[in-house]
Amino acid sequence: MRAIRFIAACLITVSLTIPMWAQSASSVAPSEYLIKAGFTYNFAKLMQWPDRAFPQPDSPIVIGILGADPFGNTLREVLTGKNVNGRTFVVKHLKLGAELKDCNILFVTASETAHLDEIFRVVRGLPILTIGESPNFARRGGIINFVLEDDKVHFEVNVEAAKQADITISSRLLTLARIIPQNVADGGKP
Amino acid sequence: MKLLRLVNLSIKRKLMLITMLTSIAALVLFSASFLLYDLISFRHSLSADLATQAEIIGYNSAAAMTFKDEAAATVTLTALKAKEDITAAALYGPDGKIFASYVRANNKSSLPSNPPPIDGIHFKKGYLEVFHAVSLDGEPVGTLFVQSDMSQWSSRAKRYATLLVIFMLISGLLALAIASKLQGLISRPILRLEDTMRMVSVKRNYEVRALKFYDDEIGKLIDGFNAMLAEIQQRDTALQSANVELRSRTQELESEISQRKQAQEELLNAKRIAEDASRAKSAFLANMSHELRTPLNAIIGYSEMIEEEIQDTGHFQNVQDVKKIQSAGRHLLALINDVLDLSKIEAGKMGLHLESFDLAQMIQELASAFQPTIAKNFNTLELDLSGDLGLMRADVTKVRQILFNLLSNACKFTNHGAISMRIARTEMNHRQWIEFGVRDTGIGISEEQQGKLFNEFAQADVSIARKYGGTGLGLAISHRFAKLMGGNISVDSDLGKGSVFTLLLPAEVNAEPSEPVKPTVHENVAVLESKPQADTILVIDDDPAVRDLMSRFLTKSGFHVVAAADGEQGLKLAKRLRPRVITLDVVMPGIDGWGVLRRLKADSELAGIPVIMVTIVDNAVAALNLGASSYLVKPVDRDVLTDLIQRHRGNHISANSQDVPVSVSVSSEEEPSCT
Repeated sequence: MRAIRFIAACLITVSLTIPMWAQSASSVAPSEYLIKAGFTYNFAKLMQWPDRAFPQPDSPIVIGILGADPFGNTLREVLTGKNVNGRTFVVKHLKLGAELKDCNILFVTASETAHLDEIFRVVRGLPILTIGESPNFARRGGIINFVLEDDKVHFEVNVEAAKQADITISSRLLTLARIIPQNVADGGKP
Repeated sequence: MKLLRLVNLSIKRKLMLITMLTSIAALVLFSASFLLYDLISFRHSLSADLATQAEIIGYNSAAAMTFKDEAAATVTLTALKAKEDITAAALYGPDGKIFASYVRANNKSSLPSNPPPIDGIHFKKGYLEVFHAVSLDGEPVGTLFVQSDMSQWSSRAKRYATLLVIFMLISGLLALAIASKLQGLISRPILRLEDTMRMVSVKRNYEVRALKFYDDEIGKLIDGFNAMLAEIQQRDTALQSANVELRSRTQELESEISQRKQAQEELLNAKRIAEDASRAKSAFLANMSHELRTPLNAIIGYSEMIEEEIQDTGHFQNVQDVKKIQSAGRHLLALINDVLDLSKIEAGKMGLHLESFDLAQMIQELASAFQPTIAKNFNTLELDLSGDLGLMRADVTKVRQILFNLLSNACKFTNHGAISMRIARTEMNHRQWIEFGVRDTGIGISEEQQGKLFNEFAQADVSIARKYGGTGLGLAISHRFAKLMGGNISVDSDLGKGSVFTLLLPAEVNAEPSEPVKPTVHENVAVLESKPQADTILVIDDDPAVRDLMSRFLTKSGFHVVAAADGEQGLKLAKRLRPRVITLDVVMPGIDGWGVLRRLKADSELAGIPVIMVTIVDNAVAALNLGASSYLVKPVDRDVLTDLIQRHRGNHISANSQDVPVSVSVSSEEEPSCT
């Protein structure tokens, strides 16, 4: 029953949804990173990691922050007491290198724009959701990239990159995102 | 009023109406419940659909809500345009403010400003409204509002209603057709029954029978009706036949009544004729007796005078001839008297003159008077007067006549025998009776003859009449007289040895009223006067022959006779002459004998003169009651009259007033005649 409803919903969504260049209606009222923190949390909800991404069924979702931390305590505050499918959140600060592999979501701050290729090389093939805020982050191989337009936070999604990371992104998220074309992403490959 | 009209509908219409109403009611109920059920379930499914839709839209817009993507949310809501019944939809943020909305172009209703705190689906003002909490992965992100005007439902309801109306119309027509066809099952037998009943009641035709259709209750009703009809017919037939019989009986009765009436009239007629005849007979007899006696008077009277004259002159050889004339005349007279007596008895006009008399003396006198007759046939008479007979009260004349008859018969039928008469006083039934027994040793009477002995004109034998003579009336008259006085006569006889006649009379005969006989009027007035002498006898009679005869023989006997031809003259002479004795006829023109007698007795100077009634009318009782001294019936025996006058002359001298009258009635016969 639920499956049928789901399919019906998908059908309706597919049939009714025009590829949208959605514009965020709401203004960035509190602060840019509070929104980004909330979005990150909500991304976690709409993602599906392969089982191998977690050592145990109730293992927490590890969010790794690479670069200068723009969130401060905001991310931790947003995630406090939250869980997705029984998994809590753990926030870590990571350094470029092999320890990048020890997370489920890797937030690459704007400060790390120069090391993007290296970063992608490390996490390639690993079920790690990469989120960035640098221009062309998604084109170059990142999965989701925040874009600021008219004081509103939007996001781009590289579906190919997500496939390579073996992460399934909910269509509901995809309908709201800007999809980055395949060929651009291929171009980023070494 | 309306219900009353329905109640009075014909059974056909009622049945159809009932069928129609029932089927329509069932139809309406069924259709209504079906419609209601369908609409309710349809509404349920509608609301379930709406809820599903709301869920889908909520699901689809959850991400947009989460990522604050108004445009995407609006696009999602706008997709509802394809659903005609959805009039409005809106998404509310967690803060309750409208995040995105969709309103159909012609919708007038406004969106609710605040969503309710809980989810729900409800109807409001003809709209179906759903509030649905939108969440993303279990986390609430806002509320979805969807409003539907249920156009689908109302259009479905309209369609259904139309269909139902058509369906009901068709069903109703079908029901009507079926009912009008099937009601005949019940109404047809009833209508036929009603027709039959009307025919029976209007035409009084009890021969028709109601037709039976089926074997149901109506069939049984018809059976019962037919049975009753048969019963009525039977009774009707019986009644009609009874009527016919009654009518014929009535006719019979009527004819019988008319016949009887006719018979009655005939009887009345016959009675009238008979009465007339009887009156004529009586009148004839009275006339005849008068007419017969008058010449007989003359015959007997003149023959006696001739006899005397012959004896005076000495021509004895002629005496026997004259005596034969006398005898024949007397016999004829007796016959006439008998016939008259009998007719009087039959007419009930025979009266009784009752008086007390010495029985022994009367018998002695009778016996001595009978001596010559007894001696004629060489018989002897023996009298047996046992004990003291004393006085008897009866009509002495009639007693004497009866005894006279009995003795005459005894003498007549006995030769050289002994006749005895025995008189005795007896007591029977607390009453004194006198029994007279007359016995003879004559020829006797057979038993057969004894039976009709006392009938009129019945002698013991026809041959007897030739041999012994007689009218055959004597015993009949005696018998009647005995009965008249309350007595009887019986006979006991041995043929050849003799007879005993027994007369039984009460010692005191009960009085019976006697009525005087009205005399008839005759003409002829004549006065005949003799030479005045010392002993004057006044003779009043209208018959000149009687006057002449009486004058002659009374003159011979030494009386001075004065005769008057009618009553007036007689009265005048009586006053003038003061006679010793008056002889008075009854039947006279003018004043009759009774009137003269009454006037004589009313006159104190004349009352003392003895009056001897000398008449043809035999009514001694009336005469004696009116004061007559004696009574003689014509033709008068000279010797008797002379003797009477002699006696009364003496009485008159000695008493010179009206004493107790010496009532001596003497039969007109000197000798016993054959009776």
